[in-house]
Amino acid sequence: MSYAETEVLIIGAGVLGAATARELSRYRVDVTLVEKNVDVGWGITKANVGVVNQGKDTLEFRPEYRRSHLLWRSLAMMEPLCAELDVPFRKVGGWEMCWDMKMKEKLDKLARRTESLGLGKDRFYWYPELKEMEPNVSPKILGGLHDPDIAVVNPVYLTQALVENACDNGVHLMLETEVLDMKAGHHWFEVATSRGDFRARYVVNAAGEWVDKIAAMVGADDFVLFPIKGYVGVLDRRCEGLVNGLVSVLPEEPGDMNIVVPTVEGNLLFGIQLQINRRGDHSTTEHMARKALENARRLVPDISRENVINAFCGFLMLRNYEIGWHECEVGMSGRVPRFINMTIGYPGVSASPGAAAEVVEVLRKDGLKLEPDPKFNPRRKGIPDFSRLSDKEKSELIRKDPRYGHVVCRCETVTEGEIVEAIRRGATTLDGVKHRVRAGMGRCQGGFCGPRVTRILARELGIPESEVTKKGGDSTHLSCRVKDILGKEEGDG
Amino acid sequence: MAASETVICIGCPLGCRVVVSLDKKGNVTRIKGAQCKQGERYVLKELREPVRTLTTTVRTMDDAYPLLPVRTTRPVLKTLMADIMRETVGVRVKPPVRCGKVIIADVAGSGADLAATTDWKG
Amino acid sequence: MAERIDVAVIGAGPAGLAAAIAAREQGAERVVIIKRSERLGGLLPQCIHNGFGLLYFGEDMTGPEYERVFMRRAEKAGVEARLETMVLDLGEGREITAASSRHGYMRFRPGAVVLAMGCRERARGTLGIPGGRPSGVLTAGTCQRYVNIEGYIPGERFVILGSGDIGMIMARRLTLEGARVEAVVEIMPWPGGLIRNEVQCLHDFGIPLLLEHTVTFVHGEGRIAGVTVARVDAERRPVPGTERFVPCDCLLLSAGLIPENELSLKAGVELDPVTGGPVVDENRQTRVPGIFAGGNVVQVHDLVDWVSWEAEAAGRAAARFADKGKMPFAGKVRVSPGENVKYVVPQYISGKEDVTLHLRVTRPGRKAALRLGGKAWKRFRSVRPGEMIIEKVPVARLSQFISGGELRVDCGRGETGEEA
Repeated sequence: MSYAETEVLIIGAGVLGAATARELSRYRVDVTLVEKNVDVGWGITKANVGVVNQGKDTLEFRPEYRRSHLLWRSLAMMEPLCAELDVPFRKVGGWEMCWDMKMKEKLDKLARRTESLGLGKDRFYWYPELKEMEPNVSPKILGGLHDPDIAVVNPVYLTQALVENACDNGVHLMLETEVLDMKAGHHWFEVATSRGDFRARYVVNAAGEWVDKIAAMVGADDFVLFPIKGYVGVLDRRCEGLVNGLVSVLPEEPGDMNIVVPTVEGNLLFGIQLQINRRGDHSTTEHMARKALENARRLVPDISRENVINAFCGFLMLRNYEIGWHECEVGMSGRVPRFINMTIGYPGVSASPGAAAEVVEVLRKDGLKLEPDPKFNPRRKGIPDFSRLSDKEKSELIRKDPRYGHVVCRCETVTEGEIVEAIRRGATTLDGVKHRVRAGMGRCQGGFCGPRVTRILARELGIPESEVTKKGGDSTHLSCRVKDILGKEEGDG
Repeated sequence: MAASETVICIGCPLGCRVVVSLDKKGNVTRIKGAQCKQGERYVLKELREPVRTLTTTVRTMDDAYPLLPVRTTRPVLKTLMADIMRETVGVRVKPPVRCGKVIIADVAGSGADLAATTDWKG
Repeated sequence: MAERIDVAVIGAGPAGLAAAIAAREQGAERVVIIKRSERLGGLLPQCIHNGFGLLYFGEDMTGPEYERVFMRRAEKAGVEARLETMVLDLGEGREITAASSRHGYMRFRPGAVVLAMGCRERARGTLGIPGGRPSGVLTAGTCQRYVNIEGYIPGERFVILGSGDIGMIMARRLTLEGARVEAVVEIMPWPGGLIRNEVQCLHDFGIPLLLEHTVTFVHGEGRIAGVTVARVDAERRPVPGTERFVPCDCLLLSAGLIPENELSLKAGVELDPVTGGPVVDENRQTRVPGIFAGGNVVQVHDLVDWVSWEAEAAGRAAARFADKGKMPFAGKVRVSPGENVKYVVPQYISGKEDVTLHLRVTRPGRKAALRLGGKAWKRFRSVRPGEMIIEKVPVARLSQFISGGELRVDCGRGETGEEA
């Protein structure tokens, strides 16, 4: 049997795997990134609401937890990283609000801790002052602690950018490659995948929702994870401006997360309704939808049912759910040498740059030779976002490539030029296009542009329209040609 | 054996459910439920000889314009619709086509033609 | 495009074509239709069924035939077209910003604007159907485009949620093409579309119409595997214990159309929360001077014939506005929906012209009386929310119905109300 060999095999092209691949691509080391899905960032990452620069807010980010340190380390890294990779990054600021004095005491404690850790000075605003900055929050709010560093990114864009840049710098990416089995040898891991077998010296397990299952293949599952499903609702762009930054209220009960947050694109997200759930089941439920909307309306009364244009569920893989989800697992397995687990739980996107840097250090300490690659190029250019360009830029872009004058998705103003570029960068499905350039992301949810994007995908990929899928696998979308069913009957009868 | 049939009138938003009683020979003995004479006339016609205009498509030889819309040139017996559909399966048309061009004459023996409903210059 | 344009029409479906032709016939010199795609015409080519033009032409036409006539008339009338051009913004002073692969990026200021963008279908997200996010969930109109234009059938076993006309028409279309339609599921106690379609699209083919039922869950992660269907109570909430699994490989949504008014909002046009379209007067002028609207962008019509007529009114008025440079909003009299009336268009009238009222009832009923200003105007044997009521009221009789700057319109039980 012949094996493909790689020095470092990273399992999972979510934000953690991608960030690690990109960090390693600075060095002359052979790295392979395998992803089960047809595209990158489609697991836990896709369902993340995109809040970054967390670390001072609500949750129990106590100094004794490793996760806190990863977050603090990431604080200084995220903005420059996004700048290098041309990923939209918006510093919107964030609020941790409270309904009563008892909750305010917790906020005061939080503010003192932030200050004592040297992470800055977050200010508490009483409602009348807070209202100046967030005029649409409920007047029943007593006040809130403001963290000016909170920012938003699109986690899928960030992942795509990290992967694109990593690949430009020599990382091998293998999509639709599912790890089926793994054996730990003395010098190598033998890894069986749906696309052939590998030998890898190191394995970085960043398999998101399935991280513990992968670890268990070699007995490196020295942690227990609880799959927690989270529901997030999406509001129409018409609601833009209803909140300006991340608005959240301290949980009154554990698991009662209540946030409203703008995305970089201008939609608002609300949630996050949480429940323990069988993993692999990403379905939304009526109960979650209702509770999330109720909560959001308590916080921002102007949010209405009519403006909810979409909803999705994703997983948080949390440790110690019962006592407050405090810890992450980023580092060498205590049981299996050269096997590195990466799972943050929450908030993974915020912690990703720090976690990737940490993993690189762990590898170096273990003896992996990391010689800087002089050809490393840290920069990557994003896909032009036509709708956000100036008049002059729009004009010039259309002159250079008339396909940028052809608007395909009318809800989000996405041009053919952008769609073609998304395909060139690796989109092979309708969702791949949607999650790169937003075609189909708007209020009609692809009803209008779906057939048109299908045509463009078929044309650019050189496949028949019937082979274009929504998101790979069996998610076909056009079964058969008109008259074929009748023809089949004819043949049968 | 006398029998009765129910027909929903489509003449107006009322949607009367009209019950028609028939004798052994199939002659109408009573009509009940229609609110107007026009409705009764429609119901009798619908009972004796229900007809529909069938609209569908036929395939072309051109991937950029895969289908040509067609219709029966007049209403055809409802019972013939499946036969007409089967006759469209093997058809492949080529441009140019003008609106009204007969694609299948006397389709399924209905007495009506299947004709193009649009122009296709190709 | 720096040259003078009298009337710019945004959208080139039946409304846009009719408005542009009417504007030319009214004397506007340069009438330009701005259209996203590479050809004029809207969704009519995919509406290959008949039932168009019965009122307008007195002839039973198919969608493509109906459009063809208007295309030819537009050509003859000298209507110009900017194709492959998308209006990105409509700003202060009717300034249009548009992008085009043919004409580049442009800004211009026409004498008057007619909004004719039509409507869009409610998508799954806004319906909030719980469950997975598999492929094979699409709106009836998108399916219609695949089946009638692109040449693909997106499944073999369908469930259709909502009994709107497009949904019922697709039920027939798919059945004729050999696919199986398991059921049309309607949350209300009455069908959403026309009786004609219920009979000829569902009954003719034995397709079950499940009234007071809804889809409560979508099963599947890759391709849809089926749906859960449940009965609903009077509050439209699923009744526990009535759920059943219906296998299907495609779920079509035909649960309402929404006027497409994103551009109108950018222009600061006031919308009627009930119709979802602009508040208009009898000339179909919106609250923003020089911006007119006609067709499904104003209110979702049942029949294309009325789309054409309404848009013609808007087109004619836009031409007059472009000529004179002004036209006051006819806002003297507010038309207010009363008992069992969901909405009335136009929302405002001058009271000095003949007026055609378009209205829909809230609930279906037998023996309804349409009352204007409390006085009986017309009796109906039956009214249904799915069938728009259209009444022409001559100016000579209008004044007696107006009081205190209001024309109240009721359509309740027939027994009450004095004879006019």
